[in-house]
Amino acid sequence: MSVPAADILTTPVPAGPESEAAGRASGGWLRSAEITIPGAVLAALLFFCFIWPLVYPVPKPIGGSLLTTNLPLWSPGHILGTDTVGDDVMSRILYGGRVSFEVAAAVQVIGLVIGGLFGMLAAYRGGWLEAVLMRILDVFIAFPSLVLVLAISDSLGPSETHVIWALSAFSIPAFGRVARAATLRLRDQPFVVAARLSGSRAWRIQLLHLVPNMLPQLLTFSLLGAGITIILEGALDFLGYGIPPPGPSWGNMIAAGQSFMSVYPRFVLVPSIFLLVSVLCLNLLGDGLRARWGVR
Amino acid sequence: MAGLLRDRGRRPAAAGTTADSAALASAVGLPEARTDSSPLLDVSDLHVTFHGRRGRVYAVQGISFSIGRGQTLAIIGESGSGKTVSALAVMGLLPDSAHVSGSIRFKGEQLVGRSEHDLRAYRGRNVAMVFQNPERSLNPTMRVGTQITEVVRCHLLLDREQAHERAVELLRMVRVPAPERRFHEYPHQLSGGMRQRVVIAIALACGPDVLIADEATTALDVTTQAQIMDLLLDLQSQTGTALVMISHDLGLAASYAEDIIVMYAGQVVERAPAGELFGDVRMPYTQALLDAMPRIELEPHVLLPVVGGRPPDLSAIPLGCPFAPRCPGVQQDCREQPPRLAEHEPGRWWACWHPCGRGAPR
Amino acid sequence: MNASVTVQPARWPGGARARRLASSPALRLSGRRLLSAIPVLWGVTFLTFLTLNALPGDAASALLGINATPAEIRAFSIKLHLNEPLWVRYGHWLGGVVHGNLGSSLASPQTVASVLEQRLPVTLELVAYALVITFVVSIPLAVLCAHRPRGLTDRLCMVLSMCGISIAPYVLGLLLVLFFAVDIPIFPAIGYQSIGAGIAGNLKDLTLPAIVVALPLAAFYTRFLRADLLEQMQSEDYIVTARAKGLGPWRVLTQHALRNSFIGLLTVIGLNLATLIGSTVIVEQIFSLPGIGYELLQAISNRDVPVVEGIVLVFGAVVVLANLATDLLYGVLDPRIRHVRSRS
Repeated sequence: MSVPAADILTTPVPAGPESEAAGRASGGWLRSAEITIPGAVLAALLFFCFIWPLVYPVPKPIGGSLLTTNLPLWSPGHILGTDTVGDDVMSRILYGGRVSFEVAAAVQVIGLVIGGLFGMLAAYRGGWLEAVLMRILDVFIAFPSLVLVLAISDSLGPSETHVIWALSAFSIPAFGRVARAATLRLRDQPFVVAARLSGSRAWRIQLLHLVPNMLPQLLTFSLLGAGITIILEGALDFLGYGIPPPGPSWGNMIAAGQSFMSVYPRFVLVPSIFLLVSVLCLNLLGDGLRARWGVR
Repeated sequence: MAGLLRDRGRRPAAAGTTADSAALASAVGLPEARTDSSPLLDVSDLHVTFHGRRGRVYAVQGISFSIGRGQTLAIIGESGSGKTVSALAVMGLLPDSAHVSGSIRFKGEQLVGRSEHDLRAYRGRNVAMVFQNPERSLNPTMRVGTQITEVVRCHLLLDREQAHERAVELLRMVRVPAPERRFHEYPHQLSGGMRQRVVIAIALACGPDVLIADEATTALDVTTQAQIMDLLLDLQSQTGTALVMISHDLGLAASYAEDIIVMYAGQVVERAPAGELFGDVRMPYTQALLDAMPRIELEPHVLLPVVGGRPPDLSAIPLGCPFAPRCPGVQQDCREQPPRLAEHEPGRWWACWHPCGRGAPR
Repeated sequence: MNASVTVQPARWPGGARARRLASSPALRLSGRRLLSAIPVLWGVTFLTFLTLNALPGDAASALLGINATPAEIRAFSIKLHLNEPLWVRYGHWLGGVVHGNLGSSLASPQTVASVLEQRLPVTLELVAYALVITFVVSIPLAVLCAHRPRGLTDRLCMVLSMCGISIAPYVLGLLLVLFFAVDIPIFPAIGYQSIGAGIAGNLKDLTLPAIVVALPLAAFYTRFLRADLLEQMQSEDYIVTARAKGLGPWRVLTQHALRNSFIGLLTVIGLNLATLIGSTVIVEQIFSLPGIGYELLQAISNRDVPVVEGIVLVFGAVVVLANLATDLLYGVLDPRIRHVRSRS
């Protein structure tokens, strides 16, 4: 079933056209800030999640002592306090962040490589190969992948790797669609037609002409997709199908904090804020780059 | 409006005869042709500069023209000469990034610097514009008739029935066959020529005093082009609407216009009545335009003389004559001093240090 | 040679009217779409079955619990046909589905169909409520933003909508519960009252969940519509014509630009449907609404395979049909497609 305007999937977060009228000097500066600020915040988050614990003796995220439960914010040694079992909240945030970003990156890479490759090849070849592959893609898009994800997680057992594979069920078809739309658009451009007529081999054309031109679009799409993946991973953890507790993950923390919301709202609020900021930065970065690179 | 109400009972006859057309014209309330010669539209020293992210663009650098009742003025120029920008300035349709200075007077009233609210009352009502692409000028999801009644109800405050009647009469006036049926159709159901007629009907709906046709026939085939131009001239002669036709086609101007203005790089470089211009061109640029037109007298398989080079980048005001880099008769003073537009002979204006034509060497 | 050969026009059963109907472009389009939707629907059913039955994990032992003896497990397996090969089981199931028999639930004494019957209306009402909120919010907001781009309202909307799409539904749900149910008790946190028991209570129960579903959608649609409107206002010729007529900016936006945007919006809705379904699962869990999303989670944890299959089938069918409807509506709304025959 062909869905009209397949580019819709390439614009999950519409940025809006840039008008010449607004292009004053201040507009230029603001545009740059749209990219640098979220980029910097994201870089800081990544640094703190991955590199900081290697250099600074951060308390362990699990195995806390019952003597130090429910410490408030700004306690000595525990910046964000401790939770109901005595684990340091800050370190759980950091290690949980690791999980979120790892999963997001892995899922996007898998989607990009597998989905992007298939989409491009199918669209370039055309014919029955494309028709069959597109039908398969349609099936995956129509299929409520959340169910697939839940079923896989449930039967395989919760673990980070399983979460990654389960969430790839979302990203592979999505990238497939984007790559297909982009390839279709590029395939009939004069420079590609010229390359075909000059006798270049298909794989050369794809590698040298198609891929570089699709890259901006795929890159911005993966940034936006990373945000969605982080939310989904959190959802899985929240429902209990993701990272098994007591392993740190933002979704787990929110789920655990649910019961204490009226007494200690910070157990829900702190991971929620980090979740929001991460996804927001990814979205802003993706949006800003999309506007800067003029991707539709 | 009173005239419209009075004539509502009368069923207009099929268009074709001048008497019927005149009756039709008065039935839709268009202004009667008058012999009053005061200029309807008087543009004086108009400057339009665009302020963009990459600097300024001096699109129009001081042009002046005027047009009176029933007259036909052609503004000729290539792309980027500023002719469309001037038209948009007269309509007040330029974006906020455009700075307009100078004077645009309609019936004596100054339009430059007026608020958007005031301009809206005058746009479509007193001055109307017809654009180039009939496929894109009409809203594809709105019926043709509604697009006409819209402008009528906005300005003339007619009710639905009156607006419907007027729209059908307008369609008949622009010679769209079966107007009652066409009223309910969508733009894509009409051919290019018919769409352009609809656009003209929309423009004339409120009986404007001035009609600006910006490349109105460029996108049409030659036969349809002739039909549309004939229609415009017919309507003009009945209603006394002044017509400003903007084009790059000098031949079209020769056939239909009374006065011609030639623009280049945002400036007026030559101005003359049509009859006098073509026998005796002064500006080398105009001469080059003429030479580049295919003519039947030419030998077959002869290369058309094409002017080399490109129009200047308008982000800087050129030092000398803007045409100097491409002019076949360029001299040193052309590059240093910009020639000023002046009335060197009665009714004939040009801006050139070394004009061609009578007495001057080619 | 006599060249006058009379050719009879092909006869259509049913006469001229049937011929006109059959050559109607809209009908042909929908027929084509329907035909291409069938393999997709079949693919969904197959994938469903494959996923749930090919995965490791013994359904029988999970259902019977840890205290079951091996003999009991074996007997139960035979009862569920679990010992038969995959293809046979699929054949049975597909045959059942085609005849409208979705099987019986393993965890409760109901048939799958009756479970669906009970739970589906709740979810449908939730989705409908959420869509109403979405459109009531996003369309006027988008028009407001497009009226004065980069103005105060526009910038504010862009910031808020960016936050709206970045917030996780479960977070939003919990926060709303915290504020509106605990701190300022207006809406109940959990529970559900059916329409029969009182429409006011029913709507109250559904309001918070509907907002949670609607917010990311509304944020996305606002941005989308705004972008589409602005693009039209800045580059389409018919907008220039409309302004040249002397029409005011609101009129140009709503009567000319918005009309053309609806088509694109419809497409986006169709594509978003699968995600919408996914979010109802989470929302129903948080607010304990007895809808199919909640049921799905329970069935998965209970390994109630027939119920899961039935629900997923319904989900898949809804998405396929909704996309089909979108395609058809596209043909209805866009006059260019409706009248494929153009000039005369």
